Amino acid sequence: MSSDVMIYANDLTKNFGSFRALDKINFEVRRGEVVGFLGPNGAGKSTTMRILTCFIAPSGGVAKINGHDIFDDTLEVRRSVGYLPQRAPLYLEMSVLEYLRFAADIRQLDDATFKKRARNVVEVCGLAQVLGKEIRHLSHGYRQRVGLGQALIHDPPILILDEPTSDLDPNEKAEFLDYLKQIGKQRTVLLSTHNLAEVEIACSRAIIVSSGRIVADGALDDIRAKAGKIRYVTSIQGEAGRALPRSELQAALSGIRGVTRVADLASDEAGHSFELSSNRDIDLRRDIFRLAVDKGWTLLELHRDTQTLEDVFRELTIGDERRNRSLGSNGQSQRHHMEQSVQG
Amino acid sequence: MQNIKTIARREMRAYFDSLVAYVVIGGSMLGLGIFFFLFQQGGFWQVDRATMARMFEFMPWALTLLVIPLITMRLLADEKRSGTLELLITMPVKDSDVILGKYFAALGLATVLLLATLIYPIAMFVWPWHIGALDWGPVFAGYLGLFLFSAAGIAIGLLYSSITDSQIIAFFLTVTTLLFIYFIGSLAETVHHAVGDVISFVSFQSRFHPFARGLVDTRDVLYFLSITAICLLIAFRSLESRKWS
Repeated sequence: MSSDVMIYANDLTKNFGSFRALDKINFEVRRGEVVGFLGPNGAGKSTTMRILTCFIAPSGGVAKINGHDIFDDTLEVRRSVGYLPQRAPLYLEMSVLEYLRFAADIRQLDDATFKKRARNVVEVCGLAQVLGKEIRHLSHGYRQRVGLGQALIHDPPILILDEPTSDLDPNEKAEFLDYLKQIGKQRTVLLSTHNLAEVEIACSRAIIVSSGRIVADGALDDIRAKAGKIRYVTSIQGEAGRALPRSELQAALSGIRGVTRVADLASDEAGHSFELSSNRDIDLRRDIFRLAVDKGWTLLELHRDTQTLEDVFRELTIGDERRNRSLGSNGQSQRHHMEQSVQG
Repeated sequence: MQNIKTIARREMRAYFDSLVAYVVIGGSMLGLGIFFFLFQQGGFWQVDRATMARMFEFMPWALTLLVIPLITMRLLADEKRSGTLELLITMPVKDSDVILGKYFAALGLATVLLLATLIYPIAMFVWPWHIGALDWGPVFAGYLGLFLFSAAGIAIGLLYSSITDSQIIAFFLTVTTLLFIYFIGSLAETVHHAVGDVISFVSFQSRFHPFARGLVDTRDVLYFLSITAICLLIAFRSLESRKWS
């Protein structure tokens, strides 16, 4: 393990009773990296973060923060980390300044250091207007800023932020992400979120978890490349009811230039449906149409849509089978809706 | 050590920022005043003796029913429910600092209350009035007893607060336990003597009674201190157990 690795997790496992919340998670985060930690609710993001901050212990595996083992050196680990838990749980009866003071006292900053750091934190978190206010009277957005403020008060080399933007309005979000990019230059930041667009703005790398496993870990460009794909959905019928072998159709479609993948979708007696993927810059609709004309097929359906980052995320986290099922149920609910409006 | 102080100071502030401190001190003082002068055998004046015994009759009630449950119920239960515990524990503090900080804050508040009741003997027997010659020995012994009683009771309350995230449950468990452990003392004489021995060994009442009469027995002191230590240790383990659940 090189000294550059600030967060190191090896085969981290956590069981809650018989439920396996984390299943052998492995990753590393290096100095100066801002890493987005993504996944649906219940995927294990918060559990991982709680383990890394020594709030709970893993059932198995090793984790090191700034070179300190989370079992053997727990106080050192916590000194190296600034942590903002989900929904920023703060002491509501304290004022913002009192709270920052409390965090500084626990971290044993002396008075001069506290003043210097507090000035900096107030500036970057935008807390000047609310310093004297009790936290109970602040909006969720401001509470989150205070939470971030306490995480930064001791100038930690590592920041672990659990959904830090969930309560912010769009302006605050943009500001916050901008700020993260700034501080990420000298620090190591691990931040969890549902929102891929945010990761795109602030992070250089993303780790995607699903059901306690890492399903993707890589530079954002790689994930974006995956996301840049365009997909076509087409439904084809053979000549005048002649049964057409699925494999023949699939082979012909695969032959189109630019097609990278042909996936089977559900078929019915009317025809076979396929999903085609291709790279961003070529429009395949014309080619698909021509192919159908040449072969004498009837084209029942053809449409194109761009796969967004969210789609990639969904694909990775719920899997193909579930995705197809949810498409199916969408169709059903649409049909249901139509029937209702006809009746109405 | 520094962290225990920081945590205790924050807890103490929280008591005075909320109503808890005022309810506890005001309620106890009001109850003490009423009981001391009005109730039971016509009150203090009818007894016509320079004694603080009535205070040491009343205060265990106040501690059991009001003070200890109220000041301990929120200590950990509330932090667990609201999630602030996660933020506190992920700062560089030891679990034992958290337990001790909270414990000393509650004990501090109880001590403030006990000091406030000192106004009775002082105002009546020292200044501005001097209505008789008070024997101070039993008074000091009684206060030592009340302090030890609070120390053990608060440890019990903190223990309950550490095993639940509901303040109400912590409150009732504490009241029930303290009531039981105090008042089973009255049964000691009515049951078979072997059972009675056991009862007077564990009862807060039989342990506290000698103090109120001016008798400081190291066995009683040790008893209260042991209860305190054991309960704090269990509370500490219970806080730690979040890691493994």
